[in-house]
Amino acid sequence: MTENEVSTIENDAENDVAVSRIYEVGYHIAPSVKEEDIEKVVGGVRSRIEKEGGSFIAEGAPSMTRFSYAIEGREAGKRVEYDRGYFGWIKFEGSVAAAKALESALKQSKDVIRFILFRTVREDTRAKYKAPTLREVKRTDTIKSTPRRTEEQAAPVSEEELDKALQDITAE
Amino acid sequence: MSNILTQNDIQHVDYKDIDLLKQFINPHGRIMSRKRTSLTAKQQRAVEAAVKRARFMALLPYIQK
Repeated sequence: MTENEVSTIENDAENDVAVSRIYEVGYHIAPSVKEEDIEKVVGGVRSRIEKEGGSFIAEGAPSMTRFSYAIEGREAGKRVEYDRGYFGWIKFEGSVAAAKALESALKQSKDVIRFILFRTVREDTRAKYKAPTLREVKRTDTIKSTPRRTEEQAAPVSEEELDKALQDITAE
Repeated sequence: MSNILTQNDIQHVDYKDIDLLKQFINPHGRIMSRKRTSLTAKQQRAVEAAVKRARFMALLPYIQK
């Protein structure tokens, strides 16, 4: 049994290039890139994956995203801090070599200021989750304040009646 | 068992789902403990990995002042 295990491990190592895996790459494109040129940058990433024999599974188009903190980058030899960027992602199937090639290509890319490449699963991982909003108050729920006590009509009270009523109270 | 992932029938935790991940971090941006999230060990690990990926991609803060 141990022999078998060893042999499978060796086989894995040998076929490392041939084994195809599911990867996802997320990237931030510099905000200085013009909107019409973004597709070119993404096209470059896509062609790099295709060149290595990868196939696409899913993709998210780049959209302007605010960063939670400033990301440093270089632009024409100067240090710049980005506070936003175009965030997009691609899920693809490819060999280990394809992933490595993509990684080195993205590292050298000037337009991509940051990227992440990791192994994932084929299924859609996005959760259908809506964050509960704090205390949802519907307009229809507003309390209608209807005066419960209708104003008592002050009927004219004669002096005698008042006196009698007072006496009744004090008598007790 | 009642935690956010089980309740919403979420099998995978994605680093891009910021609204979901925000449920598992405190106002300072730190990942909540399992005591507070009441996630299973497997789920907690998945959330941890996703939050850390989101932080690297600046989708979530490392610290919040």
